[in-house]
Amino acid sequence: METFTSGEPAVVITRVAQRHWHALEDDRVAGRAEASTRPDGRVFLSIDAWHRSVFDQLADAMLADLTGPLHTIVDEADAELVAGWERAGFTTRRREWEYFVPTDTGTVLPPPGATIVPRGSASEGPLRELDRVIRAEVEAAVGWQEMPAEVLPHPPGDTVVDSALHAAAAEGDSYVGLVRVVQVTRLPRIGLIAVRADRRRRGIARALLAEVLGSLHAAGIPTASAEVNEANPAATALFESVGARRASSNLELVRHG
Amino acid sequence: MADKGGIEVEGTVLECLRNATFKVELPNGHQVLAHISGKIRKNYIKILPYDRVLVELSPYDLSRGRILFRYRN
Repeated sequence: METFTSGEPAVVITRVAQRHWHALEDDRVAGRAEASTRPDGRVFLSIDAWHRSVFDQLADAMLADLTGPLHTIVDEADAELVAGWERAGFTTRRREWEYFVPTDTGTVLPPPGATIVPRGSASEGPLRELDRVIRAEVEAAVGWQEMPAEVLPHPPGDTVVDSALHAAAAEGDSYVGLVRVVQVTRLPRIGLIAVRADRRRRGIARALLAEVLGSLHAAGIPTASAEVNEANPAATALFESVGARRASSNLELVRHG
Repeated sequence: MADKGGIEVEGTVLECLRNATFKVELPNGHQVLAHISGKIRKNYIKILPYDRVLVELSPYDLSRGRILFRYRN
């Protein structure tokens, strides 16, 4: 199915709020556009239009009103939508694969000296401390722009973690790795898996992943999902090593002002 | 200010098709082909078969729609 309906309705583009635009055909809203700012400061755009020409007019209006780098997310399979944003001057910045991850992966023991703390059993203090350490490491290395969208920077000094969502890898009294699993629908989502920089390459992430997958399997859930940055070979290798398969891909597009 | 878009109706996702499209069944038994809204896409919300969703029907083609919202289980 084509993304856009044929035809070119005559519309008037109106900025109806600071971050919202409408394409109006008489009193009918023929298209909507929105800009939103993520906690990392980047501005992301979205456009919903039934016609290609309306999409283009909404894009033109937004780009005339907004300055600086602008971003958007598109499903790579939606070729018409990708083409629409490319007509507006956007180019691909990165690709993120969505994986479906089988949960029947079996047990993986952590390396000597490490233990895995299941979801719901992690202590809040060490979890908060690890969260702070990992966030600092991300900011000092690849930066938040390379992380999945939901792994957002927190306001300074605010480290909020929910132990019900996290399993952790412990060494002594400290946690050195964590994995977060969120389940809103039937398909749980592995939102973050991270190990302290000085504890990597020892199999901790693999053991953490196996632990949460095993707990999901025991609960009768056969599959989880995860998004992985294509430019992160360690992460793609980790998920593919447990039999994860690529289901789709999202492109993050950017237009430099 | 005008704010009249397409008709909004709940439906159930039957199938995930190629080209980022979904087949959605409406309560009256009709089926529409729907894309996801930009807001859902920006928020990485996954749509799967059997999900209950809110669909905006296209005023230009009632066999097409846009998924605006995915309900929790």
